[in-house]
Amino acid sequence: MMRSWKFWVALGGVLGVVAMFSYGLMIDPKLVKSPLLDQPAPTFTVTRLNGTETLSLADLRGKSVVLNFWASWCVACREEARVLQEAYLDLDKGKGQARVIGIAIQDTPEAAQAFATRYGKTYFLALDNKIGEISLNFGLYGVPETFFIDLQGVIRFKKVGAVTRDEIYNYINQMTAMKESR
Amino acid sequence: MSATLGGRRLWAVGLLVAVLAIGGALSAQVVVREDPLDAEVRRIADMFRCPTCQAISVNDSEAAFSVQIKDKVRRMLLEGQSEEQIKDYFVSRYGEWILRAPKKQGLGLVLWVLPGGAVLGFGVWILNRAARRARDVRTARAGGGADDLTPEQRQRIERDLGRFEEGV
Repeated sequence: MMRSWKFWVALGGVLGVVAMFSYGLMIDPKLVKSPLLDQPAPTFTVTRLNGTETLSLADLRGKSVVLNFWASWCVACREEARVLQEAYLDLDKGKGQARVIGIAIQDTPEAAQAFATRYGKTYFLALDNKIGEISLNFGLYGVPETFFIDLQGVIRFKKVGAVTRDEIYNYINQMTAMKESR
Repeated sequence: MSATLGGRRLWAVGLLVAVLAIGGALSAQVVVREDPLDAEVRRIADMFRCPTCQAISVNDSEAAFSVQIKDKVRRMLLEGQSEEQIKDYFVSRYGEWILRAPKKQGLGLVLWVLPGGAVLGFGVWILNRAARRARDVRTARAGGGADDLTPEQRQRIERDLGRFEEGV
C-alpha cells in the first residue's frame, strides 16, 4: 500500500527530532568551540611564582607559546605536569622553538609552589589574581586547559583536559608550518 | 469572669496580629533597601550559565568561577559599562553558550520563534480542520452535495438502493 506524502513528512520530522536529541545526548555540552580561536590572545603581565621576574605575553611575539592553566588542587594537572616539563626542556630551554608558561588559578602561592616543587616544574609559573582576571579573559571552564598561541600572538588551538606530548608537538609543528607557508 | 478572659484573649490575638504586621512591614523594607548595585549584579549574573555546574545560573552558584564572574560583572558596572557591553564581553570569551537565553537574532531568533510558531501552526491546522468538517456536516444536512454526482454515480446509487430494498 502506498503511503501518502504526509506520512513521510511526519516520519521524517519525528526521525529528525530523535536524531537531534540523540546527538545532543552524545556530546559534552561544555565542549563548545572557543570563540577565541583564531583571535589575538588577551594580553597579560604576570610575576613569576618565586618573584624573580615578570613576563608580558605581548613581549613573546615571534615565538610559539604553550599557555597552560593549572591548579595545585587539580588531579588531571598532575597527569600532565611532567609532559609540560619535558616539553619545556626540549622546545623552550633546548631548541628555543616555543615558550612554555603555566598560570595557576584559584590557588595560593604556597600551594602552587609546593605542587611545582613536587612535580619538578622549572618553567615560568605564575598565579592568576584572586578575581581571575586572566582566567576569565581566556574564557576558562576549568583546569587543566592549554592554549597554543602562534608567533603573531593568535590563539590557534585549545586543549581541554590533560595535554599529551603528541598534542604539544603536533600543534607546535602546525603553527611553525603556518609561519613557513606565509 | 469569663467575659474578662474573653477580653484578654481578644487583646492577645490583636497583639499577635500587630506584631506580625509590623514584622512583615519591616522585612518588606529590608528587601526594598537592597543595594541597587547588588541587585543589578544579581540580575545580570542570572543571565549567565555557571561554567562549572549543571543547569544553574552564575547567580545561583557559589562555585569559584561563578564568584569570579559576579566580581567581574560588579567591576564592569562600577566602570560604567552597560548590560550589553557586559554580555558582549562574556560572549566573546565563552561564546553564546554562556547566555541562558539565546540572543533574539540569527539562529537564536529561530529558537525563540519556533516553539510559538509550532503551537500557532498546530492551532491553525486544528481550526481549519474543524471548520472544514463543520462545513461538510452543514452541506450534508442541507442535502447539498447530491448535485455534484455524475449521472453514472446517481444511477449506481439508485441501483444499489433498489437491490438493498429487494433484499430486505
